Amino acid sequence: MQSAEGPPPQVATLSLPARIAVAVTVGAVAVGALLHLGMVFLHVAPSNTLSTQHATAVREYIYPEFEQNWKLFAPDPVQQNNHVQARAEVRKPDGTTQTTGWVDLTAADVADMRHNPIPSHSDQNELRRAWSYYTDTHNDQNQPTAGSGSDLSDAYLRNIVAARLGTELNGGTVVRIQARAAVTPVARPSWSGQTVDTTTTYRELPWWTLPAAPAGQENAS
Amino acid sequence: MSEPRTPAGHAEDDGPVPSPFAGLGLAVDRGIARGLTRITGAALGPYQTAIVRIGFALTWLLFLLREFPHRDELYGPDSPWSLDLAKQLVAGNHAFTALLWNDSRGWFELVYAVAIVSSAMLLVGWRTRTASVLFMIGVLSLQNRSVFMGDGGDNVVHLMAIYLVFTRCGQVWSVDRALADRAAAKAQPASEAAARNEAEDETGSAGRPSSRLLGADPVGIALWVVLAVALVLATAAGKLSTEWKIALWAGLLLQALWWAVRRYAPGEPRSVLDIMANVVHNGAMLVVVVEVCLIYSTAGWYKIQGSKWEDGTALYYPLHLDDFTPWPSLSHALAGNSLMVMLISYGTVIVQVAFPFTLFNRRVKNVLLAAMMLEHASIAVVLGLPFFSLAMIAADAVFLPTGFLRWLGQQVARPLKSRTGPRPAVAIPGSRSADAEAPAEGPPPGEPVSDPI
Repeated sequence: MQSAEGPPPQVATLSLPARIAVAVTVGAVAVGALLHLGMVFLHVAPSNTLSTQHATAVREYIYPEFEQNWKLFAPDPVQQNNHVQARAEVRKPDGTTQTTGWVDLTAADVADMRHNPIPSHSDQNELRRAWSYYTDTHNDQNQPTAGSGSDLSDAYLRNIVAARLGTELNGGTVVRIQARAAVTPVARPSWSGQTVDTTTTYRELPWWTLPAAPAGQENAS
Repeated sequence: MSEPRTPAGHAEDDGPVPSPFAGLGLAVDRGIARGLTRITGAALGPYQTAIVRIGFALTWLLFLLREFPHRDELYGPDSPWSLDLAKQLVAGNHAFTALLWNDSRGWFELVYAVAIVSSAMLLVGWRTRTASVLFMIGVLSLQNRSVFMGDGGDNVVHLMAIYLVFTRCGQVWSVDRALADRAAAKAQPASEAAARNEAEDETGSAGRPSSRLLGADPVGIALWVVLAVALVLATAAGKLSTEWKIALWAGLLLQALWWAVRRYAPGEPRSVLDIMANVVHNGAMLVVVVEVCLIYSTAGWYKIQGSKWEDGTALYYPLHLDDFTPWPSLSHALAGNSLMVMLISYGTVIVQVAFPFTLFNRRVKNVLLAAMMLEHASIAVVLGLPFFSLAMIAADAVFLPTGFLRWLGQQVARPLKSRTGPRPAVAIPGSRSADAEAPAEGPPPGEPVSDPI
């Protein structure tokens, strides 16, 4: 095998201590590689006898650096378009307040991505994943279900909306902001014989009151 | 097939049938011995490792350059995923990110710049070992800082950035290799062996060829000192978790040990370190190969459970999602073709589920590999996921056949070489570096060294 290729390091010619060192390395690497692959397998496989018995060990090994999720468009692809929209309550210079109309933030991202061969993560993932993070950590009544994760997702979505709306809107200063998702199911394929109601439904989130002064940090991008 | 020779009626007259297990113990022994010789004797799959290195370094470099205008929004101090939110999340999951060590804009710009430079270093294979560690630090720092900005492509880059640190990924197609070859060509034949060994070190040591041969390597020492100072500061400031402290210090000290052994103990200690590096490399490559199989397997298995993949309409839906349709008329035209939608939906599941099993047959494997790369190239355009697709193609590339990779290397290298003039032949019979580097000049090396599949 190696004979045609000159002198690779030959274990056979080594002294005993050197051979022991090599043997230990082979053993350690073999155990390490198999342990790693075993853990990754249990992490990506459906919940099973082994992975439920050793759930803690698997979780502690995999998170945070070896986390992975390959449910790409699976088990079923998303079948609805979520558009995150936002509006603000602004205080006019004359002291009156006014509620603006809804601004479609997702539509702005989509417009950026149209006919763009290299869309940015800021258009593709930011709002989309912030919304799914929020819905994963809140129930349909917008009550938190994941402890600190719910707080983080709520603050994250609020920051995005605040940054995109800016501090001044319709000639007034933004005081409160609100987000909603416009959910539109994708029509079933014409040849499938199935139909689905493609009417847009809305999920409204509670108003967020913005902190008075430090809001200036959140630059509109 | 032995049955035809023995008429069924006479089967019991044949006397004792030799046990099919006879000699099994010996064969197993021999197989283990052969396997040990392989995994200690060489870092296997030099071309596959190099193409994976180049693929992921290129993916991440292009991504960083593309997002340069958006870097602050994604990873910087003004991101809506604010420093405060990131710190709360990281305090819970203990992910590694240098970006949260300091809140200033200067620190953010420095880390982003290091990420870009280390990607370029890894891409060209200059001081590959050091570059691979910096590359991993850059990837983890940015991705873990803003984990909700990423997608599946980032996930693959994240894993491979860690795995690549353990591979000898600069054996071929690297500046390290080219410098070592030039040094070897200039030197007397007697010192060629030494230079050859240096090429395989990729310890990130050695600058000019002359200093490389002496083993002093001032540039390498300077780089090492800079990184050592950085690590001392990070440790002193208490920024590193225990695991990361051990890992990074071990890496730094190993590099110093490697340098010292090469310079002062070129005999057996040198061989032992070389063997150890080969073993670690081969273990890491096994992990990479199985990881890619697991990606496809799980992606396929999960799809099988979906009703839309079962009825063959799954592809239709992403083609109608606003987030994944940069070219709506193209997407809608494709989605409107019921037969194509079904063929691609079924084909995707079949290929993903079947791929790991086709590794036992080179020809079938290569056909499926080509199909998967083609599908990812299409995804890049149609779904607007160029960096995800590039990362997946880079991962797929670990399964490319050696013959194809060497041919590809020659096609790329030929115009480069003719511009810089003929390169001196450094092949000497029995030189494994020469075999690995210049296939046209030496006898064809034994295939087993190069193809992990």
